[in-house]
Amino acid sequence: MTILQAARARLSWALVMAGVFGVVSPVRAHHSFTMFDMTQKITLTGTVTAFEWTNPHSYIEIDVPDEKGGVKHWSIEMGSPSILQQSGWKFSSLKKGDKTTLIMNPLKNGQAGGFLFQATLPDGRVVGNGPGRQP
Amino acid sequence: MKLLCSAMLLAFTPIAADAQPVPNHPDLTGVWGTYRAGRGSDPKLAPPAAGPLVLKPEYAKPYEARRAAQEEANKRGEPLANASAACVPYGVPAMMSVAIYPVEILQSPRQVTIISEAFSEVRRVYLDRPQSKIEDVAPGYYGHSVGHWEGETLVADTIGIKTSVSGYRGMPHSDQMRITERFQLVAPDFLHDRITIEDPIVLEKPFTYTLAYKRMPNYEMVEFVCDNNREYVDEKGIVRLKVRDR
Repeated sequence: MTILQAARARLSWALVMAGVFGVVSPVRAHHSFTMFDMTQKITLTGTVTAFEWTNPHSYIEIDVPDEKGGVKHWSIEMGSPSILQQSGWKFSSLKKGDKTTLIMNPLKNGQAGGFLFQATLPDGRVVGNGPGRQP
Repeated sequence: MKLLCSAMLLAFTPIAADAQPVPNHPDLTGVWGTYRAGRGSDPKLAPPAAGPLVLKPEYAKPYEARRAAQEEANKRGEPLANASAACVPYGVPAMMSVAIYPVEILQSPRQVTIISEAFSEVRRVYLDRPQSKIEDVAPGYYGHSVGHWEGETLVADTIGIKTSVSGYRGMPHSDQMRITERFQLVAPDFLHDRITIEDPIVLEKPFTYTLAYKRMPNYEMVEFVCDNNREYVDEKGIVRLKVRDR
């Protein structure tokens, strides 16, 4: 990704945050996304322990091996099924035991949670997290 | 009166009545996605800017203070509690525009039904019926809506929204609020809902804003049952996300 592409990506996400999630227009989102640090991206590679295709949000639960030989568990929030299907997700896109790599914005409070940016599915497809969060 | 005249005409001229053309209203039935102003949208079809929201001073101060506190909290990454953190639905009129979720309109001669995908909210606009008195409507999320056609515009009148149901940008309202919506096709597949809120107790003058929609042909509405809400409000009134240990 060039610097220009990166700047465009940041701009389009900022527009989506502003327009879709209620900063400047009369729309409402389920919750504020300010609990996540949108300036930081963390990559997690691990094993899915649950994929919950649910409302108001879907979740990926994932075990990620750390460098000390241990495992750290993360809860990764996603959009809702309606929003995710616009990024090519299905209820069956992930299942327990699948290996996947996720890029996510972490919670600001330091807990092991985040908001999905993109995922690499077992079939190799890279999918985003709804309009404005596309790979 | 118009209705009475039509009824009399139907009663006394059965042959003519048979020949009456079915009122040719625009067909609003279908699924509608939000269409916003801004980059890539046609300014003629996008919603015009909202009118000024002028609250009476005794309501303006707490409203502005609440918005400032929310902004501060968001900067800290500690959003303040609101109804949606508890998966409480939005009600009228906020349900007409929730993030990027579409609404579905089902139009019949006597009723227009509007379903919002987010939270599967349903509202019903009863056509050509008198409106109730505000004091006779049990306050709720959807209140009581009646409507009629004015030419090609569907006009809906809603009362009885309970005061805890938050409106445009969290604006406050009293039990005297009246919402008038004018639904109009501005192009074959573009719909505007011009919403005017009158509230003699809270507002200095009526407030108007417009929502715009684009038709989504063949879209099938996705179910939305809020059965996995992981947000909770902590003891300081801040919305948090539950994370799992394993």
